[in-house]
Amino acid sequence: MTDSAAPAAPKPSSSVKLVLLGEAAVGKSSLVLRFVNNEFQPNKEPTIGAAFLTQKCQLPNRTIKFEIWDTAGQERFASLAPMYYRNAQAALVVYDVTKASSITKAKHWVAELQRQASPGIVIAFVGNKVDLCDDDAPEGEAAEGGEAEGEEDATVRKVSFKEAKAYAEEENLLFFETSAKTGHNVSEVFTAIANAIPETSLKTSRGAATGAGTQAAISAGQDGSKVNLNARGGDKPQEGCAC
Amino acid sequence: MFLSNLVQKAQQLIDPATLPGPLANLTTPSSRPSKAQLFRHQFRLPDTQNPLYEITAELTLPESKSPRRFHTSQGQTKSWDKSNWDRGPGIHYVGQLHLSEQFLCFSTVHSSFVSTASTSASSAYTGRTNGTGPAGNGFTLPLCAVRRVERLHTPSHEFALSITTWNGYEPRSDSKPDASPAPPKLIVQLEGSRQQCDRFCDGLKKGLRQGIREVEGMRTVTADCYSEYFLATDFDRPAADSTIEKEKEPPDTGLGSIFRYPGNSRKLRDRSKMRLWHEYLRENGRNCTLVRQPDFHRLVRVGLPNLLRGEMWELTSGGFYLRLQKPKQYQETLAKFEGEGSLAIDEIEKDLNRSLPEYAGFQSEEGIGRLRRVLTAYSWTNPEVGYCQAMNIVVAALLIYVSEKQAFYLLSTLCDRLLPGYYSQTMYGTLLDQRVFESLVEKTMPIIWDHLQKNDVQLSVVSLPWFLSLYINSMPLIFAFRVLDVFFLEGPKVLFQVGLAILRVNGEELLDATDDGTFISVLKSYFARLGESAHPKSENPKHRAITNFQALMVVAFKEFDGITQHTISEQRSKHKAAVMENIESFAKRTSIRNLGPESKKLSQNDLGFLYDRFYAVLYERSQRAQILQVEAERKAKASRAARGPDEIVAAAPEMGRVALGGAANGTAMEYDAFREFLAGVAKWAVTDSPSSPVRGGDEAEKQRGNGGYFGSVRSRSLPSTINPWGSGPEPADHDFMQRLFAKWDSDHMGALTLQNVVYGFAAVKGNRDIMSSISYFFSLYSDSDGDGGKVDREGILRISEALLFLSRRGVPGGPPPSPVVNGEGEAKVQSKDEQFLGAVSAFIRRCFEYADPDHAANQAASGVSLLDVSDDNDGDDDASSKPASEDSILARPSTNTFGQTSASRHVSANAALDPGSPVHITLPTFRMLVLADETLEAFFDSGFANSFNLVDAPVPSSTITSSSPFLGGNAFSGGGFSGSSGVSAAQPAISPGGAGAGVVGPGKGLRGMLDNIVTDGMRVAAEVRRRMDEAQKELDRGGGGGVGGEEDEGEEHAGDLLEGAEAMESRSAKSVEGVIEPVAGSASASVLEEARDGKGSTMFER
Repeated sequence: MTDSAAPAAPKPSSSVKLVLLGEAAVGKSSLVLRFVNNEFQPNKEPTIGAAFLTQKCQLPNRTIKFEIWDTAGQERFASLAPMYYRNAQAALVVYDVTKASSITKAKHWVAELQRQASPGIVIAFVGNKVDLCDDDAPEGEAAEGGEAEGEEDATVRKVSFKEAKAYAEEENLLFFETSAKTGHNVSEVFTAIANAIPETSLKTSRGAATGAGTQAAISAGQDGSKVNLNARGGDKPQEGCAC
Repeated sequence: MFLSNLVQKAQQLIDPATLPGPLANLTTPSSRPSKAQLFRHQFRLPDTQNPLYEITAELTLPESKSPRRFHTSQGQTKSWDKSNWDRGPGIHYVGQLHLSEQFLCFSTVHSSFVSTASTSASSAYTGRTNGTGPAGNGFTLPLCAVRRVERLHTPSHEFALSITTWNGYEPRSDSKPDASPAPPKLIVQLEGSRQQCDRFCDGLKKGLRQGIREVEGMRTVTADCYSEYFLATDFDRPAADSTIEKEKEPPDTGLGSIFRYPGNSRKLRDRSKMRLWHEYLRENGRNCTLVRQPDFHRLVRVGLPNLLRGEMWELTSGGFYLRLQKPKQYQETLAKFEGEGSLAIDEIEKDLNRSLPEYAGFQSEEGIGRLRRVLTAYSWTNPEVGYCQAMNIVVAALLIYVSEKQAFYLLSTLCDRLLPGYYSQTMYGTLLDQRVFESLVEKTMPIIWDHLQKNDVQLSVVSLPWFLSLYINSMPLIFAFRVLDVFFLEGPKVLFQVGLAILRVNGEELLDATDDGTFISVLKSYFARLGESAHPKSENPKHRAITNFQALMVVAFKEFDGITQHTISEQRSKHKAAVMENIESFAKRTSIRNLGPESKKLSQNDLGFLYDRFYAVLYERSQRAQILQVEAERKAKASRAARGPDEIVAAAPEMGRVALGGAANGTAMEYDAFREFLAGVAKWAVTDSPSSPVRGGDEAEKQRGNGGYFGSVRSRSLPSTINPWGSGPEPADHDFMQRLFAKWDSDHMGALTLQNVVYGFAAVKGNRDIMSSISYFFSLYSDSDGDGGKVDREGILRISEALLFLSRRGVPGGPPPSPVVNGEGEAKVQSKDEQFLGAVSAFIRRCFEYADPDHAANQAASGVSLLDVSDDNDGDDDASSKPASEDSILARPSTNTFGQTSASRHVSANAALDPGSPVHITLPTFRMLVLADETLEAFFDSGFANSFNLVDAPVPSSTITSSSPFLGGNAFSGGGFSGSSGVSAAQPAISPGGAGAGVVGPGKGLRGMLDNIVTDGMRVAAEVRRRMDEAQKELDRGGGGGVGGEEDEGEEHAGDLLEGAEAMESRSAKSVEGVIEPVAGSASASVLEEARDGKGSTMFER
């Protein structure tokens, strides 16, 4: 569903364990539900412990099967998180653009992952619920152009694009603003993650059958904007994966 | 492990020998719950109940009128029944009869809870029942529900009681004898010595008398039970009674009665279940007076009917007894907190719309409202738990069958009793039970376990939601409710049995799964098929009719019959420590990481140390407070059989531990705690005059060594006088500490959070450059933040005091002591402290030299050039060669009034001291003065920062207080800081010529001298001033030629210096610090005499 370019020849396929982290009710489960089933439930039950779902992501030269661990967001569940991000190759740290406290929590998660999770884990920093901000018509474009729309704060939006983007760049994270409700940018996030997973780590992952040889020396989320551009293109392979 | 350590200590404290009977057994050492707790768990009684009497008894019930067959001898009851088999008509059960304050309980599950019953039995007691719940046959009878007790006169029944209950005695029923259920008469024959029986009966009589008052309350509570309504009618002719029924509304049986109950009631055979229950309740009593017979358990296992489900949950879980006890708690709680907000409420609001959203009741305001109120009320009654996701789902499920009031009590029972720690801040109960579950899988299904291990599948990711939400969001609702039916009756073990059975039933498929994903999807699809036939291809229609769920229940309760509550308890205590440790290390990691950017100035180790120390101090203080309180209570009512202490002791180890979420409350440190904290990291923060008795240093050392911070709760040896500072050193209380506290308390909360403390240390230790260190110190005294601040005269004095305060146990990290050649030609090492003393006195002097007048008037007053002064000071000898004690810079911590007294006494001495001409120094001046002196420079360069010991274990400062013969001693240690400085720090080493520490040994004479000195102090003040003036003149004369001749003069001083040293010591022993002023040698003699004058407080002047 994410990418249209699916060559007829069977592509190498590999599994990627991805974990979602973030404050309660920022829309983690909804992002997953959008990505996996392309649907949206306004009253999603809170996740207890964690939910597990899978979805494939087609890249031009390979297929990534995401094993998605969607975790509970309430603060006290945090102590369970290590159980879920253990061995994860990718993480989606989600905050709610309409809730200032949620980005603080998200930053904590980033720090936790950087210190405790597998080295080289690909982290995407995602601001969800942009549909709630009226100003978001141009947001997509602004995001793509790496431009901030900073002056929107009047009403709903509490976390500016600029601030989050700057943080993500500083920490070398992929960065997106999404809406699980409208589907905006959702598949892009996952595609970008898929692209950013170093092939070296895929080879060691379960059921990995990558085309051997190529050293994809892409550091995890090395450059947010670059990946972002690629993600939008969808079929443009990231450099290094092209062979 | 410190937990048990602590419990033990606490128990020693409450000496069992001094306690009256019932309390004594409650303090028996064990990691297991107390007997009273077990008793309450067994019969699901509220926490107010204690086992008072127990006696072996035989219960005889009338033969059932229905044709159904009863098995009177099942399981463990069998052997008990044997000897009584033929006794009279009716059904016999042998078991134990228990009496608590408000309940009479009988169970065929053999259990003993009263220590007085039999000592041997109680010590051999294995905790077998461990709160199994009312699994056995018997009853739990509130005494208020007893209508009459008669002593039967039967020759064979030596001591038999006939108990009549209120059941069936509603006035209305009298007119319709047919419709009213027969009141069951319980015949209980007591088996024991005459004395035992009498005692039991006396207790019973007493309880019954008190119970009379509660009858009315009981009636209102039971009115909410559907059974009351249900039994008032003849089951088969409800229509005929319709006229009567109209009078009375049926009690609230949950949202299901409005929005339909889940599942197809026809398929669930709801009506025939209702008929069976009708029959059972008529014969065996309802709600309060229900007697559990084997059929009861069977009826529960086949699934409760919709209308009775709520009531049975309430009865079997014990929520009913809680409601009976505090019938108004729910409404009162809601009323009390109406309109108030909390974090829990915010969290609850987030989830209200997403709790069983597919059930119609929760798409309505009615359902959501109930859910909100129940969750909110509970969050108020137990703020430590507050609200945890999953509670919303559980409560939503409960609300389908019970009224919101009942749901509230059920939730309380669940969280506090049945699922301890599941929903707590750290969810330690959940994590612990996951470990337990894993170990049970390993034990019972090693093949599956090995497979999971091999494929690196973490079981708990699958099973955790099962336990946390009681299978409610894993299985289809109707089946989850069936699990709940049994769970409430039989206790938490049911969750484990069902979990194990799920894995067993799916074993083969699971062995094919090689990753989490497949593993989960196998189980997901199994749950979806629970309603389908387990044997769809079977020839036998009966087999075909068996659903997967029924098969699962059979496996759970037959195959895993061996999993008892005892198994669970055992496993829990086995894994508890490890789970707690995990949680704590996670909490620590998270908390340290979230401290913010400033914290990066400290190493990870330092942060870890600060974290541990911070919480240890808070923890220990709370423990001490609690023990002190218990102690006080015990003293207050030693004669009364208070049940307070045991509760507290039992709960004590659970209190402050981070893993248990208890730390969430007290996460800030007030000033006293801060002092205690500092005393553990900095030697100077330990008081010189401890008020509490001091124990042997060895013991204290040992305790710190193995028990860590937690081992230090008072030992038994001093049960009545608990040291308010624990075993740690008693902290000093000094102006400097207050300033530090105020400075670190950046939010002006009057208390420091961990972040405050870390930021404080980051500022002190994190800046390795001397300039910022000087600025920081200055800012503690400056009247405004930033570089523009000023420090006035008072402040200058206080700075000096602080410098001496900080250095009185040695200054770490100064420059190496300089060798000094004295007259005899032998090289002597001058101690750092002497240097320091000199440096500080020079500092004061210069402060006033360079102080700026507030009203830019007499600028020119400063006479001596900086160069001269620094020359003066650079000579090592010089710094110490004139130990003129100009003042008692360092007052004792508690009587720190130096500033005022000195200022008032010496106003005339110097223009700089004249209050008429206020002066101040600015940061640049301060900086200059510090840098002008290499000792102070070194102090600010590293000494100050190093005086806080972080990563290393806390300084063994306890040895300072305990081993030092004169505890008031704040003598400068001769090189004492190196290594274990405790003893050497205590040695008086003030000997300006480097004459050594031994001039006056740390003898007893010092204490006596101190007193003299203090009393003399005031008298000689005037003399001092006179001398001071002389000294000043000398100084003026000799100051210029200083540097050159000093080394030569060393010899000349030597003799006098000894004298001086003596005086210095004495004063320092009393915490009154003399300041040595570096002056030209010729003046030394006269100044030295002043030094002996002790408290004379002359200011330096120029």
